[in-house]
Amino acid sequence: MNKFLLNLLLISFFSSLTQAQDFAFGKFTQEEIAQKIYKNDTSAHAFVIQEFGSNRIDVASDDHIKMMFKYHVKIKILDSKAFNKGTINIPYYYSDEVQDEVTDIKGLTTYADEDGLIRNAELDQTKIFTVTENKYWKQKKFALPNIRSGCIIEYSYTRIIPGFGRFPSWDFQDDIPKMYSEYEVHIPAFWSYNAMIRGPLKLTKNVADIERECFTSGGSKSDCSFLSYGMANIPAFIAEDYMTAQKNFLSAVYFNLEEWTNPYTNVKNKVTKDWKDIDYNLKHSEYFGSQIKKDLLKPYIAPVIAGKTGEMEKALAIYQYIQKNIKWNDINSRESDGIKKALEKHTGDVGDINLCLAAALNSAGIKTDAVLLSTRGNGVVNRLYPVENEFNYIVVKATIGGEDYLLDATDPLLSFGMLPLKCLNDQGRVMSLDKPSYWLDLNAKQKKTNTTSLDLTLQPNGKLKGTINSYSYGYEGYEKRKAIKKYNTVDEYIENLDEKLGKIKILNSSIGNLDSLDKPLVEHYEVEIDVYDNLNHNRLAFNPVILNRYVNNPFKLQDRSYPVDWGMPSSSRYILSMSLPDGYIIEGSPQNTAVSLPNQGGKFLTEFSGEGNKFTYSNVIQFNKSVYAPEEYPYLKELYNKIIASEKADIVFKKK
Amino acid sequence: MKRIFTALIILLNFGRVNAQADYSASLIPKDLLPYASAVIRNQNVYTEVKDNTTIYRIKTAVTVLNKNGDDIARIVVWYDKTNLIKNIKGTIYDEFGKFTGKFSEKNFEDVNGANDFSLFEDSRLKHYIPSTGSYPFTIEYEYELKSKQTLNFRDWKPNPETGLAVEKSSFTFACKPDFNIRYKEINMPAKVSIGTTTEGLKTYTWQLNNLKALRSEPFSPLAESYLSMVKIAPQNFVYAGISGSFTNWKELGQWTYSKLLLNRQALPPEAIYKVKELTAGITDIKQKARKIYEYMQGKTRYISVQVGIGGYQPFLAGDVERLNYGDCKALVNYTQALFKAADIPSWYCVVEAGSNKVSMLNDFASMDQGNHIILCLPLKGDTTFLECTSQKIPFGFLSDFTDDRTVLACTPEGGKLMHTPKYTAADNLQVRKAVFTINNTGDLSGNMATIYTGTQYDNTEDLVGEPLSEQKKTVQKMYAGINNLDIEKFDVKQDKKEIPVSTENIQLDAREFASADNGKVYFSLNPVNKLRSIRDVRNRTKPVYINRGYVDEDEITYALPAGYHPDTEPLNISLSKPFGKFKASTVYHDGKLLYKRRIEIIDGTYSKETYQDLVAFYQAVADADSYNIMLVKN
Repeated sequence: MNKFLLNLLLISFFSSLTQAQDFAFGKFTQEEIAQKIYKNDTSAHAFVIQEFGSNRIDVASDDHIKMMFKYHVKIKILDSKAFNKGTINIPYYYSDEVQDEVTDIKGLTTYADEDGLIRNAELDQTKIFTVTENKYWKQKKFALPNIRSGCIIEYSYTRIIPGFGRFPSWDFQDDIPKMYSEYEVHIPAFWSYNAMIRGPLKLTKNVADIERECFTSGGSKSDCSFLSYGMANIPAFIAEDYMTAQKNFLSAVYFNLEEWTNPYTNVKNKVTKDWKDIDYNLKHSEYFGSQIKKDLLKPYIAPVIAGKTGEMEKALAIYQYIQKNIKWNDINSRESDGIKKALEKHTGDVGDINLCLAAALNSAGIKTDAVLLSTRGNGVVNRLYPVENEFNYIVVKATIGGEDYLLDATDPLLSFGMLPLKCLNDQGRVMSLDKPSYWLDLNAKQKKTNTTSLDLTLQPNGKLKGTINSYSYGYEGYEKRKAIKKYNTVDEYIENLDEKLGKIKILNSSIGNLDSLDKPLVEHYEVEIDVYDNLNHNRLAFNPVILNRYVNNPFKLQDRSYPVDWGMPSSSRYILSMSLPDGYIIEGSPQNTAVSLPNQGGKFLTEFSGEGNKFTYSNVIQFNKSVYAPEEYPYLKELYNKIIASEKADIVFKKK
Repeated sequence: MKRIFTALIILLNFGRVNAQADYSASLIPKDLLPYASAVIRNQNVYTEVKDNTTIYRIKTAVTVLNKNGDDIARIVVWYDKTNLIKNIKGTIYDEFGKFTGKFSEKNFEDVNGANDFSLFEDSRLKHYIPSTGSYPFTIEYEYELKSKQTLNFRDWKPNPETGLAVEKSSFTFACKPDFNIRYKEINMPAKVSIGTTTEGLKTYTWQLNNLKALRSEPFSPLAESYLSMVKIAPQNFVYAGISGSFTNWKELGQWTYSKLLLNRQALPPEAIYKVKELTAGITDIKQKARKIYEYMQGKTRYISVQVGIGGYQPFLAGDVERLNYGDCKALVNYTQALFKAADIPSWYCVVEAGSNKVSMLNDFASMDQGNHIILCLPLKGDTTFLECTSQKIPFGFLSDFTDDRTVLACTPEGGKLMHTPKYTAADNLQVRKAVFTINNTGDLSGNMATIYTGTQYDNTEDLVGEPLSEQKKTVQKMYAGINNLDIEKFDVKQDKKEIPVSTENIQLDAREFASADNGKVYFSLNPVNKLRSIRDVRNRTKPVYINRGYVDEDEITYALPAGYHPDTEPLNISLSKPFGKFKASTVYHDGKLLYKRRIEIIDGTYSKETYQDLVAFYQAVADADSYNIMLVKN
């Protein structure tokens, strides 16, 4: 009898044996309808009353293994600022090879009408649109009817996902608060996943149980593990400036396949247990190891390094060759389907370009490994166990003369050994072809540094005349070069700069090392600056910070929840030397300032020295760390405060 | 047999191309190089009307001079179910005009072209970024687009963007001799030449050579006033299976009314009853309309759904009644239906929305001149326009989205050009009064009240209905010039009149607003409303255009710390120019420093020579706005 029932259920496709924990659709309480605010967060425009999801691996009617992901949510809309919650997008994978399916979409709006009567409006099935986004993704889109302040919207759907590799993760936290969110999964014993919980919030429900004989396929029967995760009173996630990926801080649960047994053949497949396996797979992968190992590039590289003797000389030539010859198509990737093709087509994604670089360097006899990493936008990679698809980028580590250099050839303005900011994200995995892989810190090798010195003379006509010299190192040089290269020529850049500077007229200029990326970018300007209409005044006030004066504090919050992450240390130095016309002396000068962050985290210094009609003012702003913890935030904010206050102070000149 | 014939034609074409083209970058005339990132060497746009369809054949050769030209050379082709792409292909040449490779449709990426905010829109695009290892390089490509309609023809704009120079470009429109068209040449140095093809088609051809690359210039007038373009409209047309005919706005409006709008306003009896109930006892038509409008705002929300006849036909009023959402067409049509239930006549108006004031061309009617719909209440002597897609906008207020421009009203009597209200500089007011106290450690405290009127009404929109914690964050960013700004009390009120007013009151303090240094105290006189200087432009080519005027008045009274007085010369500046006026002054009296500032910017078009004056004016204002006060001990 029991057996018979089981079969029946299987025929009806994906029914569950254990009582589903989903809440009833279309049910509400008077209290929910009446609520005007959310008491746990009175600033909310909407909140989730209840959210439930489940995922189950099962055999579909076509005998294929599929996952059935069910989603159901009930949201209270408090005011019109949250009406956008009633417009829903459900993205799903849909390529030539694999097609997800989204079915059973139900939607309902419950509201009190003008006369206080409770009414329902159902989602019209003909008003659900299917949109093809690109080669891989489609979306179901719909707008719930009759949205108004105070209404409750509710919707549910089922997404059928072929296979078992893309196990849906679950975000407990969102941009609106939630009263309760729960996710339960049913995993037959044929499969084993690592469940990983991220974020600072605590689960209020965490149940693991066994479901007996819940899965049948080709005569094999198995039990399932039943896992249920619940969280109550979840605050809204609020993003702040200068933070890395939200994903690093959002509370969520992720599932990664560890191993599985084919229910039909009983063959066991290890998927991800340790790095050894990933190392082996990647080394032998047609899209990774094979691209580097096979010496495909000899005919291209030979002329590039012809006549070059030293390793460094060769490496530089190859790096520049790849930078110039393959244009990045703005797509991140962690593999390549053909580096030679990319070189021939002069276009490729990150994997194409940097695996090409690795292959070329190896071909020239320079020991080079590919390094997998996750960009800042993609979040930090977990270190508990390996998950290949958490990586989305490849860079290269070349060892020259005993020293390691991290290289990314996707951007022609990056100097040798410099990674772009997006790659400075925790750690990367070095995939050596002859050694086990290992973790490597992705720290900025260079800082962001600028020194600007001005040498000016106040003319009898009230104008300042003299020179500005600026040296930009590391990331500062990179950013300046990027700004200059936006113009067709250096002359156009200067013309535009001159137009922008307003009272500063550029009389003459030169820019050095624009294309010598390993050297500081040097700017030299002869200028005339409009300060006073004339010098018919007995006293003149003068602010010595002519360039880049801080007026607004970038940090305004009372306190902060997430670290301030700039990616790299920075420092700037400003020196003004000035001569006054004969007959003028300095009457008053600003005080010297010295402020430091705790633990040598940074400092701000000013110095003034003058004699007769000449003086020098200088200041230094220095941040020694890449990342500042939330506890350090008040100090950081206060440092800027002091900078702004100090830079307000004037120097006063007086006629003798 | 047919197959062979086609193949032959392709071969012939190809042969011709090879023979003609020499795309060496060195052949580009030198005077086309300044400010150019790319140069169109030759472009042919061919439009043919054939059996109720429009065929476009576009053939372009463009030389990319440097990396900045990549974006210009990027090929983007829009299409949808009724506009189909045929035969995209192209060739790449190096700097010396030597063949280096080919590309075709399979190299293009195909993506959804709908706006992010659209729920549904049937538009897609194919795009391709050509690349070679070095610059300059040239790509030559061609494609055909087939559009199943003859109502709208694409404008010809030979030089649409900055950084692009044009060596040679031509446009041909071909049709049967009995297919009447009207055309409009805008800023065209060369006139049309009319001819006949061997197949007996009538052709209209325009050609332009040697157009220099445009540079972006701030305060530029609308593109229509300086870009060369040709617009074409049919007399008889077929669109989505509906035929029609027009030669002027009246007829086009008539067609829109009778074919797209009529009979789409039926409402269920409850809805009609609701309207009657709402307006019961009100006699004034405008008051009735306001009541209904506000009801509509409370009931609906805007969602873009581009379906129906080519995106031109609103969905039924009954659907909006049921779903409570719709796009601009649907919401206007619905509001019109509600008005009708109260016997209030109203007109469906097509407008080009956006901050730039783009008008329908008085002398040239065509269907493609608007992107939005608003509603007109033709009240006697008090014509009122309504924006129907916002839940918040005041009755009769258009904001800077659709103000001061010519629109097409589609009335039962035919189309009618109308002009929406203009908000003058005097309407767009911001008046601020603040009373602050600074103590001897530099801390500031006080109250600040600001009244916003006209288009400046929207300045506070982000703050309304937000919790205090969010308001604080926004206000700190609005008044970033007050460091350490802490808000004790905040409120904002809106008066939803036709020229609406919002009022913001802030009680604030700011630690170390002024900095004490060596016995002196410094602070910025105007921390709340600083104008920024504008970029100078050498050799300006375009007239100066100020899109919208406004007046800002600020008055701040500072009570200075006891025992201190200002040691800075009083500020006293007054400027008066055709495009603006500025006045700022300080008066010190009895421990109090009174600061007054008034700026007026007057909209209009001014000569290109005026730009130097405008730069000097903005600079003078910016200088006055960054005036620092130094206090010393008595």
